[in-house]
Amino acid sequence: MAILLGILRPLQVVLDHVLRLGRALAIVAIALMVVCILLQVFMRYMLNNALPWPEEAARFLMLWMTGLIAPSAYRRGGFVAIDMLTLMLPRSLAAGLSLVLLLLSGAVLVMGIELGQRHVTSGWMFASSSLRLPLEWVGMEGFKIKLAWMYLSLYTGLILLLAVNVELILRSLVAMLGQESRLRPMLDGSLRVE
Amino acid sequence: MLIWFLPLFLLFLMLGLPVFFGMLAAPGILLLLNGQERDLSLLYRNVYNGMDSFPLMAIPFFMLAGELMNRGGITLRLVEFSQAMMGHFRGGLAHVNVLSSMLFAGLSGSAVADTSALGSMLIPAMEREGYTRRFAAAITAASSVIGPIIPPSGIMIIYAYVMGESVAALFLAGIVPGILVGLGLMGMVKVMADRYDFPASRAKATWPERGQASLKAFFPLLTPVIILGGILGGVFTPTEAAAVAVAYAILIGMFVLRTLSLRDLPEVLSRAAMTSAVVLLLVGAAMAFKTVVSLSHAPEQLAAYILALSENPLILLFLINLLLFVVGMFLDAGPAIIILGPILGPIFVSLGIDPIHFAIIMSVNLTVGLATPPMGLVLFVASSVSGERVETISKAILPFLAVEILVIFLITFFPALSMTIPRLAGFVN
Repeated sequence: MAILLGILRPLQVVLDHVLRLGRALAIVAIALMVVCILLQVFMRYMLNNALPWPEEAARFLMLWMTGLIAPSAYRRGGFVAIDMLTLMLPRSLAAGLSLVLLLLSGAVLVMGIELGQRHVTSGWMFASSSLRLPLEWVGMEGFKIKLAWMYLSLYTGLILLLAVNVELILRSLVAMLGQESRLRPMLDGSLRVE
Repeated sequence: MLIWFLPLFLLFLMLGLPVFFGMLAAPGILLLLNGQERDLSLLYRNVYNGMDSFPLMAIPFFMLAGELMNRGGITLRLVEFSQAMMGHFRGGLAHVNVLSSMLFAGLSGSAVADTSALGSMLIPAMEREGYTRRFAAAITAASSVIGPIIPPSGIMIIYAYVMGESVAALFLAGIVPGILVGLGLMGMVKVMADRYDFPASRAKATWPERGQASLKAFFPLLTPVIILGGILGGVFTPTEAAAVAVAYAILIGMFVLRTLSLRDLPEVLSRAAMTSAVVLLLVGAAMAFKTVVSLSHAPEQLAAYILALSENPLILLFLINLLLFVVGMFLDAGPAIIILGPILGPIFVSLGIDPIHFAIIMSVNLTVGLATPPMGLVLFVASSVSGERVETISKAILPFLAVEILVIFLITFFPALSMTIPRLAGFVN
């Protein structure tokens, strides 16, 4: 038990901070997405000059928004599932089933991370068609952004989801051992997921 | 062998595995068992490619626009407008509830947003006028399903993307069914109002009063005109229209109505981002799932099985509606559409049903499923907003569900109801 709690507590603290940062960045990302698309519309109609990059930039931001904030949703129980069976089963059986499901989800995530690594590696070979870092503005040489920077969004999201999954598994083990009272409340309560 | 991914997926789903993991675990396990490890990376790439989409970006934007309008006091203006128009009828506030949902549907594409926005305002008001809390919660939940039927609609954006249909055509096809659901609910309210002697909410508004309420609701009511007009006029893509709706909501919330402040923005943005991230991951998983659906030849085998039941498309449509309704009882509309669209869509299209017509049948049926017991999402939201138990609301909502089921069958067997507007606009031959 001491070992379980010994791993769980620091993990929770790290996740609290990392996911808060993730949410903050996701907020910036969604706001910038709106700005990119409005800029695109404005340039097309007002200045008659369709820019090549806003659409891809907005997709880049949307992917990162998803990767950075989805783990917070998972932590708050926001992933859609049919939980009727767990509600109907006796407590101990339901706890066992939840643990199995968490382990299965974890296996999917581990597999995903392994595949993601290959995906990201392949992304260093190709550059984006329209996104470039205009370093010539500061007197340096500009360059096109590698696709790997986009691919990293899902990969990062999966790693964070796995961290949350491990947290949920540890919590579930502690609860199964009858020590639920030693767990802190799951949510920090600032946000709801619908 | 691969065909077994479907029963395995259903098993995972029934056991309570989140849909996102189930959609990847079931095909993944079978690909591994089948020795097709190389296809696993295809699965991964399709999740990524499925999410990396410009049309899909309309989802976070419409969610954001809905959140902003809700926060910016726009809902209140819509309710006041509905009150001035319909408050004097017997059962006035119940009518107001339905009409507000129809108007709100033109701004937002989510039934949950509708229930929480209108419910928190109208359920206490209805209780004060002597309606039972369960009735107030039931009519709020029942009318909120109009949200994703009348455009814009999150569910239809997802369907259009997963199935490669036109978002604009689906939006247009949803207009009449949405209005029909609204009128049907109002009809049921009228029957019940006469029977149970519901109160009128207020004296009949004078025309100057109505004019004033219309003026106050003018800017919010302009939103659907901008969105649909922009898309149909070829001015914006649906994604751009959604971004414009966000900017418009911020402008009127901050500068016209002055009910939205900069301090509200982080929470609104965060909620929209979080809700849409879950949907985007699901759509990504759905695109991967869809690949395995085609690899496994599941639609062909299912088609053979379905055609063995009957070759009459009308009977099959009836049966499929029953299936969708049962699925809708247990699963939210978005995930259900994501799972069933790729499997059922091709079968019915090959039977000669127009893809847009089938899309509307599926969307409306599964959307009504949001309000059906035992797992209807909006029932839970209505319960948390009103404090009434889900079981109690589930009973009170039955007459309204009957109306909605009737509408589902009307649009199923009279395609002209949904198809006329897209046809007139040139989206369907």
